[in-house]
Amino acid sequence: MTLRDILVQQIINGLSLGAMYSLLALGFTMVYGIIELINFAHFNVFMVGSFIAMWVLQSLGLVGQSRVLLGLPLVGALSLALASTMLLSGGIGVLIERTALRPMRNVPGTASMITTIGVSYILFNIILLTVGAASQNYPNPMPRISWDLGGAVLRLREVLLWSVSLVLMGLLQVFVRRTKMGKAMRATAQDQEAARMMGVEVDQIIMLTFFIGSALAGAAGLIFGLYYNFTSFIIGYTAGLRAFTAAVLGGIGNIMGAMLGGVIIGLIESLGGQFLAVRWTDVIIFSILILVLVFRPTGIFGMSAHQKS
Amino acid sequence: MADVSPSPAAETETIPITQPRSFWSALAAPVRWIPEVTRKRVGLALVFGGALLFPIIVRNGGDVDAAANACAFAILALGLNIVVGFAGLLDLGYAAFFAIGAYVYGILASGQVTPPWNDAWQALQWLGLVSRYHIEGAPDVVQLHFSFWLMLPGAAVVAALFGILFGAPTLRLKGDYLAIVTLGFGEIVPIVVRNTPKLTNGAMGLNGVNSPQAFGYRFGVNSTPYYYLGVFMIALLIFISYRLKDSRIGRAWMAIREDEIAAGAMGVNRSRLKLLAFAIGAAFAGATGTFYIAKLTTATPDMFQFPVSVMVLVMVVLGGMGSVPGVVLGALILQLLQSWFLQDLTQWTHALGRLVHSEWLQQLELVQGIELIFGIILVMMMLYRRGGLIPATRRTAALSMTEQAAAPSRGGIGVSLSRLEKVEASQGSPMLETVGLTKRFGGISAVRDVNLIIPSHTVVGLIGPNGSGKTTFFNIVTGLDTPDGGRVLFLGEDVTGLPAHTIVEKGIARTFQTLRLFNNMTVLENVLVGMHARTRTNAVGAVFRPPSTRAEERESREWAIEVLHIFGNRLAPRVNHLASSLSYANRRRLEIARAIASRPKLLLLDEPTAGMNPAETLELADQIRSLRTIGITVLLIEHKMNVVNEISDKVAVLDYGEKIAEGTAQEVQRNDDVIRAYLGRTAAAGV
Repeated sequence: MTLRDILVQQIINGLSLGAMYSLLALGFTMVYGIIELINFAHFNVFMVGSFIAMWVLQSLGLVGQSRVLLGLPLVGALSLALASTMLLSGGIGVLIERTALRPMRNVPGTASMITTIGVSYILFNIILLTVGAASQNYPNPMPRISWDLGGAVLRLREVLLWSVSLVLMGLLQVFVRRTKMGKAMRATAQDQEAARMMGVEVDQIIMLTFFIGSALAGAAGLIFGLYYNFTSFIIGYTAGLRAFTAAVLGGIGNIMGAMLGGVIIGLIESLGGQFLAVRWTDVIIFSILILVLVFRPTGIFGMSAHQKS
Repeated sequence: MADVSPSPAAETETIPITQPRSFWSALAAPVRWIPEVTRKRVGLALVFGGALLFPIIVRNGGDVDAAANACAFAILALGLNIVVGFAGLLDLGYAAFFAIGAYVYGILASGQVTPPWNDAWQALQWLGLVSRYHIEGAPDVVQLHFSFWLMLPGAAVVAALFGILFGAPTLRLKGDYLAIVTLGFGEIVPIVVRNTPKLTNGAMGLNGVNSPQAFGYRFGVNSTPYYYLGVFMIALLIFISYRLKDSRIGRAWMAIREDEIAAGAMGVNRSRLKLLAFAIGAAFAGATGTFYIAKLTTATPDMFQFPVSVMVLVMVVLGGMGSVPGVVLGALILQLLQSWFLQDLTQWTHALGRLVHSEWLQQLELVQGIELIFGIILVMMMLYRRGGLIPATRRTAALSMTEQAAAPSRGGIGVSLSRLEKVEASQGSPMLETVGLTKRFGGISAVRDVNLIIPSHTVVGLIGPNGSGKTTFFNIVTGLDTPDGGRVLFLGEDVTGLPAHTIVEKGIARTFQTLRLFNNMTVLENVLVGMHARTRTNAVGAVFRPPSTRAEERESREWAIEVLHIFGNRLAPRVNHLASSLSYANRRRLEIARAIASRPKLLLLDEPTAGMNPAETLELADQIRSLRTIGITVLLIEHKMNVVNEISDKVAVLDYGEKIAEGTAQEVQRNDDVIRAYLGRTAAAGV
C-alpha cells in the first residue's frame, strides 16, 4: 500500500467513525442548546441503544456475522432494527427527562449535570448486572461486498452507514428548519421565557428534544455494533466523550457544527491512529476538548447557535 | 408597622419559622441544656476516641485495612469539598491529582528508575534519599528511596503545582465547561502514565514501592499504623477545612460559589481565589496519593480513572457539599457499604440463590453493583436532598415579635461609621470623572461619549428612560464591562478597564439593580465579604490564626455590625439569618450595607428603593442623604423622582446612551430634551 492508499483507507474509516460521532454529538448539542445542560446520561443511552438493536436483530434470528442477508430482507431487517432502536432509545431519553431532569430545571448551578452522571451510572450498571461484563458478538447481516479503490477498500457496510447517517441528519435539518415544531424548538433555544409567552409548549419541546437526541444516539449505537461487530457495557464513555468533543468543536448548541465536528473527530481518530500512535489519540482528542473550551468556547466555526448571558 | 400598609414582601417577614416538635427533638430536649460549644467538644472527643480505639476493639486485620482505605478516601473527599463545596468549582478529574501524588512518590521510592550515578547525586545520598548501587560489569546506578515523610508534603506541593498549571487557564470557564475540562484532564493523566513506561512501568504499574518507616519501625503490610496515620491526617484536614471555611478566604470562596460577578464587584480577586481552592484541593489529593500507594506498595494507571473521581464526588454529594463533617460521613458510609455491607449481602444473596435454585442469584456479585448505588445516590440526593445528609447551612431560629418590629423612621442614620477614610473636599480632582465614555454592544451604542463629573461630597442622581445606558455606565465604572472608548478617572487617577476587585480596592463600591446577594450566606457573612478588599488574611493566616489575623477578624466583625446598624433594627437582629430569608426591602438594605462595608469613597447605587413602599423609600432616602455628611460620595440611579429631587445635589440624564442634560433637579426637569426623552416630542412642544 502506498501512502496515498493508506490515506484514502483511513479517510474512509474516519468518515465512518465520524458518521457515528456526528449522530451522537447531535444529542449533546440539541439538549445543550435548549436547556444548557451537559447530559452525561447520553453516553449510556447510546450504549443501551446498541444493546436494544442487538436484541432486535437477534430476535430476527440473526446471530453473529455468519447469517448474511441480501436485497429486501437486508433492508427490512436493518430498517426494523433502526426504527425500533430509535423509538426505544428516544423513549429512554424522554423517561430520563421526565423523571430526573424536569424537577431540577430551575435549580441553578451544576446540580442537573450531577444528576445526569448519576443516571448514566444507573444505565451502565443495569446492563452490567443483567448482561454481564463480557463483550457481545454483534449480529451483522451485511454481505461482505467491497470495492477496490487502488490499494484501499471501500466496503458496503461503510456506504450503508454513511447513507443512514446522512438521511437521518437530513431529516433532522428539514425538521428543525421547515416544520412548525422545529421553529418552536429554535425559539425555545433562543429564549425559553419568550417562547412560552408566544404559546410554545416549552415542556413538550424539551421532551421532544430529548426524544430526538436519544433516538439519534440509539441509531449511533446500532452503527457502532455493525461497524465493530461487538458491543459492551463500557462503550458509552469513550465514544460519548469523543462525540462530546465533536459537539464542542462545532460550537455547542449548533446542529451543523455538531455534524462537522463529528466528522473531524472521526478523521482525527483514524488518521491520528495511523500516523501518530493509537495510544495517543485520546490525548489528542481530549486536548482539543480542553483547548477549544478555553480559547474558543463558541467552536472552531465561531457560530454557536445562541448566546445566553 | 401598624400605620404602614405592608408590602407583600413585608408580610413574608412576619411569618415565624416554627419547627415541628418530633419524638426525637423531645428526646433531645435535655441535651439542649448543655451549651453548644461543650456539646460539640464532647461529640468530637467521643468520635476521635472511638476512632483511636477502633483497631484495638475489632482486632480483625481485614477490617482495619478497610478502615485505613476509608481514611484515604475521606481525605480525598475533604479535598474535593474545598473545590466543589466551598468554591463551587465542579471538578470531575480530581483523581488526576491523586494519581500525580501517587506517582511522584512511587517513582522516587521504588526501583523503577535507575539513572546512572554521577557526583551530582552525592548531596542526595548524604541526605539519605538515594544510594549508589554497584552492578558487576556495568557503571554504577542510583537507587531512589526518598523518605515517605518528606514526600507526603512533597507530593502535595507537586500536585498543587499541577493544579495551578492546569487551573490558571481553565478556571475562568463557567461551571459546566469547567467540569468537562477537568474531566478531560482526568482522562489525559492516566493515559500519559500508561504511555510513559520508562518512568511509570506503563499499564503494568509500579511495584515494590517502599513503605514508610518511623522510629526504626517499618510499616510494611500491617494496616494498623496506616490507619492511625490516616486518622491523624483526617483530623488535621478537618481542622484546616474548618479554619479556612470560617475565614476571609472561606467567605470569599463561598461568595464566588454563590455569585461570581457580585464577588468580584465586592473586591474578591476571583481568579486568584479559585486557583487557591484548586491548588489546596489538589494538594490534599497529592498527599493522599502518596499515603495510598505507600500502603498498597503498588500503583497502576487504572486506580486513578474517572470512576474514582465520581466516587469521591458521590461522597461529597452524599454528605453535603461544603459540609466538613458531612463529607467525612459520606466517605465512611460509602466505604462501609463497599467493604462490609455489600460483601455480606452477596453472601446472603448466594445463599438465597441456592435455596431457590436460581443460577442468576448465585452468581450475582453485588460488589460490582456499587456503582449502581452511586448512581442512585447521586440522582436521589440531587432530587430530594441537595444539602446532603449533614447540610452545610442550617436554618436559624425565628425572631420574636419585638425583634421583628421595625417602624419606618426618618432622620437618616444613627451611626458615625468612624472607620471610613475621609476624603478632603478641597482636593483638586473630582471624585469621579468620565471622559468620552463609550460602550457598544453589536451595532448599538449602550453608552456614547459620556462626559460626567461627580464632585466630592455630593449625591448625584443618574436618571433616564429604561434602556438608556445607566446600568452599563455603572458596569464600566466598576470594571464589570470594558469600555470601547473613553476614560474613567477616579480622584484624578485613570482606572479605565481595571478589574472589578481592583476598583473596589481603590474605593468605588456598588449595588445591583437585580439583587445579587450571596443567598446561602448569612447577613453578617455577606457584609464581611464586602470587607474583602480591606482585609489581608491569607490561607496560611486563616489556618494558623496568628494574633494579627484574630485582631483583623475581630475588627471586621465590629465594623460589619456597625455598618448593619445604619438601618436601625432592620438588619441588626438578623445577622445570622441567611440572605435568602430576608424580605425584599431588607435585601436591598443588605446590598447597600455590603457595599459600604468596603469603606468606599464613592458609592454607586442602582435603583436602591425599587420594590420599597413609600414609607420605606423615604427612610432610605434620608439614610442615603446622610451618607454624604459622613463622607461618602453617592452616584444614584433612580426612577422615583421624589427621591431624586430630595437628595440629589446634581442630576444627569442619559437617553440612548448619551448625556442629554445635567444640572439641579429643577433645571433638568424643565429641560426640553429631557421632557422629550421621557414623554415624546408633542409633550415637549407643549401641545
